[in-house]
Amino acid sequence: MDYFKKIFKESIIIIIISSLMGLLSGTILSMNEKIIYAIPIILLILPSLNSLTGDICTVLTSRLTTHLYIGSIPPKVQKSERLLQDFIGLLITILLSLLVLIILGFMIGISTGFNIINPFLIILIIILTTLSLFFCLFIFLLISSIYLFKKGKDPNNTLIPFVTSLADFLTPLLLIIFIIIFI
Amino acid sequence: MESQDTKGRIVKETFPSEIVSIIGDILAGVILTLILLNFKSFIILILIIPALLSLRGNLSGPFIARTSKDLIIGEFDKRSWIENVLSTYALSIVTAILIGIFSIMLDLFLIKKKILSMEMLIIIPIIAILLTLSISIPTSTFLNYLAFRFGLNPNNIVNPIMTAVDDFFTVICFYFTLLMLGVP
Repeated sequence: MDYFKKIFKESIIIIIISSLMGLLSGTILSMNEKIIYAIPIILLILPSLNSLTGDICTVLTSRLTTHLYIGSIPPKVQKSERLLQDFIGLLITILLSLLVLIILGFMIGISTGFNIINPFLIILIIILTTLSLFFCLFIFLLISSIYLFKKGKDPNNTLIPFVTSLADFLTPLLLIIFIIIFI
Repeated sequence: MESQDTKGRIVKETFPSEIVSIIGDILAGVILTLILLNFKSFIILILIIPALLSLRGNLSGPFIARTSKDLIIGEFDKRSWIENVLSTYALSIVTAILIGIFSIMLDLFLIKKKILSMEMLIIIPIIAILLTLSISIPTSTFLNYLAFRFGLNPNNIVNPIMTAVDDFFTVICFYFTLLMLGVP
């Protein structure tokens, strides 16, 4: 049961933190329900937006972990062709996914009769939120996975729960902040 | 496999899965809204839902990543998989109890509605998470194995697809849990 113990031991603390962050996310949403309900399209696409950031970060973490295990990136924070390929690949994926998400979200929003105010500004806010999160989390994940790998821990166990919850927490928070700033 | 992925391959493998994820999540959102709004305890349930939806990141995501890592580095076997599954279930029970406890605290000190009993707030996340994992674990293992067998990188494909599957079934299992427990 060594693998069981390793997984449990490495994951338990971060899962407690992540559960707290998940509930904080719910609290933020309920405390700002007036803003969210004033722009219902945000509410409609919020689960997908949370998932998109979380998914890309999960893919990035599992890729970085495997790179470190098989030695295709060194356990040092430095530029490399491998990292650049991963960064550009995931950036293109996130941009294409955002395009689909916005088109689908707006189509469903319009068909269900939501009043969409300032559509271009809302699209700008959605893109700004997602890209700023992606850039920050890319750097954070790179540094953290190298640090954890050097300590002999599997970055998958710690970083994926943490970064997904962080994305779930930061996405609505940033959206609300940008809405307050721009609208 | 991982060391040879170009940016084109990353996009080619990740983007289609991400589309599935987006569609699944939009569906989950629509179903969630339609289902939850009919419950009298909506204001409390909406607190639990974001935490339950984060299940994919807390439990399923690492489970999938560990399985795909084991497949890629050649350490995947029955014993490692069983230990991976057992640890995921053990962690899920801890997570569910914590979600219940924090929900009770938020209800007592912030929302102050007390529509649901304390026992109910503990039991709901436990049953919902265990039901979801019972669908998620076999599905993700099968997808990981399938992706690996066909020469695709499981890291790029399985996680985004499973996000949609997990979110969708979290909502469905949550609904069944509420029905089973007779939540108002």
